[in-house]
Parts: sequence; structure tokens; C-alpha cells
Amino acid sequence: MSLQILPRGKWVGARVKRVEDPRFLTGEARYLADLQIPGTVHAAFVRSPYGHARIRRIDTSAARALPGVLAVFTAEDVATLPPLASGLPIEGLKPTPQTVLAKDKIRFIGEAVAVVVAENRYIAEDAAELVEVDYERLPAVTDAERAMAPDAPLLHEDLGTNVVYQKVTTLGDVDSAFAQADRIFRRRFHTNRFVAAPMETRGCLSVYERSSGQLTFYSSTQMPHMLRLFLSLFLGIPEHKVRVISPEVGGGFGQKMTIYPEEVVIAYLGKVLGRPVKWVEDRRENLAAATHAKEQIIELEAAVRNDGKVLGLKARLIGDGGAYSFNTASALIEPLAAAGIIPGVYDIQAYQHEVIAVCTNKAPVGAFRAVGWTAAQTARELFFDEIARELGLDPAEFRRRNVITSDQFPYTTITGMVYDSGSYQESLERALELVGYEELRRRQAELRQQGRYLGIGISLYVEPTAWGSEIALQAGFPFPSHDNATVTIDPTGKVRVAVSVHSHGQGHETTLAQVAAEILGVSIDDVIVEHGDTDRAPWGMGTYASRSAVIGGGMVALAAREVREKVLRVASRLLEVAPEDLDIQDGNVFVKGAPDRSLSLFQVAFAAYLDGRVRAEGEEPLLSATKFYDPRATYSNGCIVTVCEVDGETGTVHLDKIVAVEDCGTMLNPMIVEGQVMGAIAQGIGGALYEAMVYDENGQLLTDTFVTYALPTATEVPELIIEHLETPSPVTIGGIKGIGEGGLLAAPASVAGAVLDAIWPAGRAIEQLPLTPERVLAALGGETGV
Amino acid sequence: MKPPAFAYERPQSLNEALEVLAREGAEARPLAGGQSLIPMLALRLARPTVLVDLGGIAGLDELSLEDGTLVAGAMVRQRRLERDPLVAQHLPLLAAATRLVGHPAIRNRGTLGGSLAHADPSAEYPAVALALEAELVIRGPSGERSVPAREFFLGPFTTALADGELLTAVRFPLPSAATGWGIAEVARRHGDFALAGAVTLLERAADGTCVRAAIALFGVATRPVRATAAEQALVGQPLTVETFREAAARATEAIDEPLSDVHGSAAYRKQIVPVVVRRALEAAAQRLQAT
Amino acid sequence: MERVPITVTVNGRRISAVVEPRMTLADFLREELGLTGTKLGCEHGVCGSCTVLWDGAAVRSCLVLAAQADGANITTIEGLATDGTLHPVQQAFWEAHALQCGFCTPGMVLTAVALLAENPNPSEEEIREALSGNLCRCTGYQNIVRAVQLAARHERAGT
Repeated sequence: MSLQILPRGKWVGARVKRVEDPRFLTGEARYLADLQIPGTVHAAFVRSPYGHARIRRIDTSAARALPGVLAVFTAEDVATLPPLASGLPIEGLKPTPQTVLAKDKIRFIGEAVAVVVAENRYIAEDAAELVEVDYERLPAVTDAERAMAPDAPLLHEDLGTNVVYQKVTTLGDVDSAFAQADRIFRRRFHTNRFVAAPMETRGCLSVYERSSGQLTFYSSTQMPHMLRLFLSLFLGIPEHKVRVISPEVGGGFGQKMTIYPEEVVIAYLGKVLGRPVKWVEDRRENLAAATHAKEQIIELEAAVRNDGKVLGLKARLIGDGGAYSFNTASALIEPLAAAGIIPGVYDIQAYQHEVIAVCTNKAPVGAFRAVGWTAAQTARELFFDEIARELGLDPAEFRRRNVITSDQFPYTTITGMVYDSGSYQESLERALELVGYEELRRRQAELRQQGRYLGIGISLYVEPTAWGSEIALQAGFPFPSHDNATVTIDPTGKVRVAVSVHSHGQGHETTLAQVAAEILGVSIDDVIVEHGDTDRAPWGMGTYASRSAVIGGGMVALAAREVREKVLRVASRLLEVAPEDLDIQDGNVFVKGAPDRSLSLFQVAFAAYLDGRVRAEGEEPLLSATKFYDPRATYSNGCIVTVCEVDGETGTVHLDKIVAVEDCGTMLNPMIVEGQVMGAIAQGIGGALYEAMVYDENGQLLTDTFVTYALPTATEVPELIIEHLETPSPVTIGGIKGIGEGGLLAAPASVAGAVLDAIWPAGRAIEQLPLTPERVLAALGGETGV
Repeated sequence: MKPPAFAYERPQSLNEALEVLAREGAEARPLAGGQSLIPMLALRLARPTVLVDLGGIAGLDELSLEDGTLVAGAMVRQRRLERDPLVAQHLPLLAAATRLVGHPAIRNRGTLGGSLAHADPSAEYPAVALALEAELVIRGPSGERSVPAREFFLGPFTTALADGELLTAVRFPLPSAATGWGIAEVARRHGDFALAGAVTLLERAADGTCVRAAIALFGVATRPVRATAAEQALVGQPLTVETFREAAARATEAIDEPLSDVHGSAAYRKQIVPVVVRRALEAAAQRLQAT
Repeated sequence: MERVPITVTVNGRRISAVVEPRMTLADFLREELGLTGTKLGCEHGVCGSCTVLWDGAAVRSCLVLAAQADGANITTIEGLATDGTLHPVQQAFWEAHALQCGFCTPGMVLTAVALLAENPNPSEEEIREALSGNLCRCTGYQNIVRAVQLAARHERAGT
């Protein structure tokens, strides 16, 4: 059924070069910072230099007096704006409303306290320095477990606790699983707080037309319609008078799928000042104040038989949510998502998890590619490696003994995820084969004799994708989630596809054009994909959570299919044959078996619009259809194997190569799939070895530049070998599964696993990621507690 | 992240530059390649009232050989040191060290003198100058003076340059033909400042033993330091792995106040000093063997 | 502060302007000349997005003041394609899928152009080293490296 809607053919599955590329290659592409609207003034935020403090007084007079300054606003001046809070409907989750500018107290370094608007950004920054804030410093708490202590400093005093959620869930017969086990293993990991760090920082531009009451809001966002909805509600501007335009966006990775206080403030300033107001975040702000991600303390316990079979698992997951249970999806975003995926690709029949979300004096945590799943995968895979070795089993063999096999699909996990299909075993075996596993193990033993440390890390994963309502629920987040496409053939036969999913590097202008071209029988050169503008695209949720290929592909297929039927009906009257006897190829509608009896799409479309005679009673001239798609849950999978060598004298890690075998079902465009995989793996390398947001005990951020916060560069990323398996999903249109996140979900476990494998058993003491040279060397030296 | 306001002067001669500096006082800052200074301005960590751009002064970017000394003008770009045949032939250590400085785009603008005067304790050039016992030529209101490298670097970002003075050139004495050199460092990523690094020179006697050793450490202390105890442990000894290992173990004695930051603690840096020293010594010995 | 007169050649066009001393070359190109293809990703000289060619050499335009550029010959990404034809490096980036969000692309392309001008036949290691001052968060670099190799092959074949 689903494959009938979207079959593979000339376009679907082809390595088509991206149609959007030329404008990026020539510098013509315009991102938020590049937009120049006459009369624009520029904002700079005054941000807290402390992690936790009470605001006694703010004196803005010196800043206001600086020539070129238009306005300085503090919380008092924006008191009519409602606070932001997570709307996640989960019982027991305590809200932590956040005013758009800090009022009375600040809870993390970099929190916005005031905003300055000036003729240019240079002056705005000068003035921001002149705003005098009198702070009463408070003791800070930057460790999630310490924040849970009864005597810990409180971030939100009215709650009486820093713990915003805590719940134990028992699934299956956990007690008997642990009673029957031959061995019980325990392990604790503290996964690092790292960040999306898109190359383009956040930014927005508010243009308000007083005469019409129309707000045009440009923002570097992944979800224009959601932003429009919330701006309308927060600012009290009717929704039809708010237009959100997301121009070219220089990467998001989840960091731009939220409603930021800064956006609300800038939108408001544009309205009250009557001048276009622009804010372009600088990198220091981005590192300090845009959402952070992925930090959890995960304690695992496993009940295991001597043959390696895991009978049951227990997990305690503490999510360090930062200063606010943020509006993306609350402070549960990490630990709740992690709890659901702890069993992963393995057949686990008993599982107990305790999910805890805690506030600390650090930046709020939001989404970043493979939310929650990175930490869960990392903890579980590293744990399983160690269990295998303790049992004297090869880590690959241990996985074979526990993995869900292909004859078990559809497989419902103990946490309620329904794995529709996949190639778990196959991807493991293929990845091992590609890397030359057996030979590597021999080589590893040889090198160990010479005092050298070769390591191999295996990360076998399943990735929830196609974030529609069903998978959201299966992953624990009861939010509706769907999107819409409008496909239109205009009178000359050219195709416009307008979609609510937003592209910020994913290449939708190509892949979704491939879908439309496939169904409508045209070249992608005759298709244009529009997105990012709420006035041009139908309503939808935006791009996040590996959803746009599945949902976007599906909804475009559905809409194109309906338009195709309209075209065939019109053509059938022109050619005087039944619609089912017609086909479209290369822009021509023709009679099957008699290709000389044909009309160009131009002729058919032109007639549909302008020749009333071909229109049947009750039929519309417009060759257009809008369709929504809220797919069934589908799960991608794969296996990433890393080979590394550790320098035993310095603790530095050299990555030799990384092999990734992935299965995202039907691929719209393998080239783009590979791009997603490789980019996500590079981020995973960063997470495993280089990247960490570090706060001291006073809440000072020590990593607020690209000097201190280290991203991998071309010299840190090794050769990446990508191979595809293709198990089409039986439940989605076209069999498509998502691909956006698997690399970052699985690579940190693979890379860290390789390092720990190299130095086994010395790495048993390592709890904290990333694996810096210092931590690795300390482990080799037998020191603990790092 | 925009620089605070300042005035800009672009003198056309050294004397003019010195006049401007004298006139503007302590809040004036010379601008060489700007690859360290401009980020500090952008982060508003430096707030000079006037920048004195040395880029317009003729004669500060010359490179020449004078009786066994390589004389490099302070404004010689790092990229040139990496590629100039004169450096490659007579002082390949300087070219090798340059390749460890930042990235190509940084080296295209960055200068030798700028890096030395900036005196980042993790930078390569100060250690090279210290190992080679270079002389730093300084011009000030009262004329020219020459300061040996060991007296030039006083602490983190602090040198013997007084207000109103400019570093104009560096005189690198060329090592003898019987000298091998090495440079080794550990950095988190390619092009990063070192967590620990060592520059070594080994001079070999006719009998194969070491007559002179120089070991300069960077990235580990508040300024580049010579590991004198390690050097002494080498003199008169055969150039063997064992000797290097023993000498390297003594290199940490030179470190009084170890550096510490988010990339590596003081303890870690100290722990890997003997490793980088030994590796740099081995590299020096290998080069000797090759000659 | 007293503004500084400069004359600079940008993409072959001689431009005279008077600039505030603290204005960076990047802001001059973007804000004064409207050449927004030059991107600002960090403004402290790490990410390489603002890379331009200065007398043919790759330079970070956020680490130079516009005032210092007096007399310089600057090429930005807008100056690379001629008569609507992509430069071989741009073409190779397209073919090799060496960009996703496109934000680092102008800096990457210009860095690669400078590398190939100096070393028409670089090894993979040399390419990675030359690119290591430019951050990309989307691609994982591999396709960028391949694009530079491809451009080198094309350029060699073309001469």
C-alpha cells in the first residue's frame, strides 16, 4: 500500500545533486544576519556574569545617555509579556516559569537581564557594558546530585526543591529477573553536557507595521509556524497578522526548535519601538545562553546469565536540566527520552527505570540531535562492553546473544516502542565484516604485547524516527506532531511544493522535489520547494527529530498523488480516454501503449485553468492539493564501529577509521543520507573526545569561546566508511525511515567504546565523558574518580 | 562581539611609531599581525585607547643571514618563516615550529614579533627563541637595546618590553652543524595551543657524546622555561634512549608554577612533560644521525 | 574616534571609504559593501567562516581591521564565480555534496582555493591540515576533503 503511493523510480533513490547548492556556493544565500532592512536598529543583551544571584537594582541611565542608543529595557519594561514554560502534559512535572528578561534573580551565567537597542551593534555593546546591575550573589549549585540534597541552594524557591520530576517505573518482572541472574553488574556514567553549536548562531529581526498591525518576524528557527503561534499568543497580536520567515538557517540540530526568551523580547521591541530591531547572537552568547544538551548521570544495573543473556535492567537517570525546565520539552527532555531507549536493540523483558529531572545553575537544556538517546546509548553500550569482557565474551558475541532478531518484527519493547522492521543483526555483522573485526582483534593482541593500545568500539543502535504523534507517545512525549504539504501545478505546468518542514541543511529542496517529480512525472528542474515562510507554506511543526524525510516525503507524496489524479482527469477529457489508461513521464501525459497520443503537462495544466470546457461539473480549476501526514512510528537502525589507537604515554586518542552501516529504509537520496550520517558522526566524535561545557562550583562557565569549547576539525575526523542496508518500513509511505540522528546517537558510544576497549581494563574507573587525554592517562595510571 | 572604540595610527617609520607610543602612553598598543590582539579586542579583554599599526613601517619584515645569525624582522609573517628557503636551509627548527602555530589563515597574517611580544606561555616561538638563545632587538625612546630571550619572557603575556618600546627584530644564532633539533607537543586538536611542548637542541662531540643540550618547555609554566637539570643530565652522555629517558624525567624540575586550564590540569601537563621532552630529544638525535 | 580613509580593491573593484577604526574587515565587507557572503561564525578567529583572500592568501576577515586593509586586494566568495560560471572549487563542492547548511561554505571554498593555488596536488593529509582552521558542523568534513581532491583533479585536467 505505502509503496504504491510512493514507488522508487527515476527520482526516488537517485543521487541527485542538491538544487539549492549554487546560492550557498556563491554567497548569495541570505541568512538572518545578512538581511538588511532600511531603518534597522540593533539589539545587544546584558547578561548575568554570575551563576546565581539576586538582582537588587538595575541602573540604565548611563547606557541610555550614550549617543546612538534608542532604548534600554529591563524586566520591568516587558512586564506585560507572559513567562515561558514547558507545556508538556506530564503528571508530576513541576513548571518553572521563566520571564523573558530576568526578574528579581538570575539562575545561570548568561541569562538575559536587560536589552539595549542602538543604531548599530558596536554601540549596542558599548551601552550594554554601561548598564549597571547590582547583584547579590547566591551560592550556586552546578552538580545535579548535589542539587537534589535537602540543603542545596534552591533555584526556584517557591518549589521548595530543585527536583522538578521524579518517578520510578517498573516494567516486567524485574525482581525475578534479578533473582534468576548468575551475575549482577553495576555501572555509573556521567555523560557530558555538550551543545549543538550550529555555525550560524541564533538571531531574529522584528519588523512591525503600525498602520496594519502586522508583525513580520524573521528568525533563525527550525519551526516557523510554532514560533508564529507562540508570538501571537505572547504578544497578543492576532495570528493572521503575524508572519514568521525563517531565512537560510546555518544549522540547528535541535537548538533552534524552541521558543527563546530573546525572540519574544525582540519581537516585542519591534512592535513598541516602531523600528525594525535585529539581534544577531554572538558566539559567546550562543555558548552560554542557547540551550545546552545531553548531560545525565546514568546508573545502570544488569541481571545477566553466565551465557551472556541479559535478563533485566535497572536504570536511574538524572537529567541535569539547567536553570529552567525549558520550554522545548521540559527538563525531562533528556532523562525521559533516555529511559525509553535504554533497552535499545536488545531483547530485554524486565526493566525498571527511575527518571529524575533536576535544576542547576547552568544553561537550560534543550534538544540536540538524538535527545536523550545519545546518553542512554553511550551508557548502555559501554556497560555492555564491560559485562561482556567480565564474562569472557567478545563484545560482538555478547551483542549477538541479546539482539532482537529479524524474525521478531514487529517487536514491542518493554517500554512500549513498536519496532516496525529493521536489520539489527545484519548491520552488526556487516559492520564487523567491513572493519575486518577478527583480524583487528588479532592485531590488537599483538600490539598490546608491544605496549601499544589499539581499540575497537561497537555501537549497535535503533533510532526512533518519523516524529509524528505515535512515535512521540512511544518515546514518552504526549504531543501531537504532524505536518502539511501543498502541491500545485500552475498553468504552465510547473510544480510548486510548499511544506511546513523547514530545511537548514537537510536538502529538502532536493529530496522533496524528487518525491514530487517521481509522482508527477516531471523533472526536478520543473519543481520548486518552498519552506520557511508561514505565508507561503501550510501549517506544521517544523524540522526536528529525524522527521522531515518521512513526514515531508509522505505528505508531498499524498498531495502530489491527488494533483496527479486531477491532471489525469483533465487529460482524459482532452485525449478522450479513461484516466487509468494515462501515464505521465518527462512532463508528458500520454496514453499507455500509445505514447504518440500525448499532451504536454503545459497543455493539460493550461486547459485545466483556462479552458472551462474540460472542467467537469463541481471540479476546481486549481491543480492543487494540501495533505497532512502523521505517520506511524518507524525505527531506523545501524551499527557504528570505531578503530582507534591510544597513546599510552599522553592519553591522546588517534582515530583510525569509523565504519557505519545504517538502515533508514527507502532512501530518497543516498548522497544526502550519507551526509547526514557523516555529519552526525563527527558531532559524536566531538561528544566522545572533545566537547564539554564546564562550569566551576560558583556557576562560572569556563567554556564560552571556541578556544575553550573545542569542536572537532578536519584533522580530528578520520576516514568514514558508510554502507547502507535498506529495509523499507512497512508502515510509512514509501517505506522511508528517518536518518538525521543515528550518527550522534551511536557514535559517542562507538568512539568512547573504542578508547575503553584499547585501555581495558584501565578504563573501568572512567565515569565522566568526554575522554580527554587527561582522563585517559589518569585511568591508565590507575587513578580513580575522574 | 565587537571591539570597543579606539583610535588608529599607521606610522610610516619606526621613529614615527615610537613618537606615537610616547605620546599616547601606556594605553597605546602596537598592532602587528593582530591574530591574538584582535580577538582580545572583540572579547573586550583589551581596551587600548589607540592602536599603532606597525604594518606601514618599511624594513621590519626583512629576513637575512649575518655571520652565523638569522636576523628576522619583527613583522616577518609566520607564513614566510614556514616557507622561506633561507629559514628552511639554515634554521629548519623555526619552520617546523611555525607549522604548529595555529592554522594557515592565522599564519598568513601572524608575525614572529607579534607572537613573541604577546608572550603566550603556550606558544611555540618563545620556546624556540629560548632554546636558540636568541637576542630580541628592542627600540625605544632612548635608542636600541638587545635582550636575551631568557630575560625577555617574564610571565604570562608579560615581557621585558617597557611602555613605549617596540620589538623590531630577532637574532637567532644558528646552531653548529653538529647540532640536531627536535620539537614535540601534545595539543588537544591540531593547531591548538600545546598542553605541553618541548624544543630541543643536541650538539654532538666527535666521540658521539653530547657536548651541549638545550631544552625549552612551553605550555606548562607561566612562561617558557629551560629545563636546565635535564640539559645537564645529557652533557657528556651518549645519545641513547636511556639517557634521554633519564634526562627527560628531570625536566619537570624547571616548572615552578604549572599552567592549568579547561583542556589540561597542572598535574596532567607536568605528567606529560617528560614524554614530550624525550620525544623531542629522540627527534633531535634522529636528525643528527641523518647528517 | 577619528575615521580612517582607506582604498581597497574588492573583487576587482577599487573602493575608497572612510571607516571607524574598530570596524573589522568582515563588518566592512558585510555592512558597508553589502557582501554578505562572508559569514561571521565566532568573531574571535576560530571558526574560519569569515575567510577571504587577501592578495591571494586565506585570511580571517574578523581578525583584521578594515583600516589595515588599505591597499589590499581582497577576494570574497562573491568574486569567485565568473560570468555565472562556478569556480572549479565551487563546482567540486556541489558535485561532492560538500555542504549542508552552507554557512561555513564560503570560508571553506576560499580556503581550498588558496590551498590549491599554492599546492595544486595536495595529499589528503595536507588538505585536512589546510582546512583544519575552518569549522563545519554539518558535513563531518569528509565530503569537503573529497571536493578539494576533485577540484584538484579537475584543475589539473584543465591545464
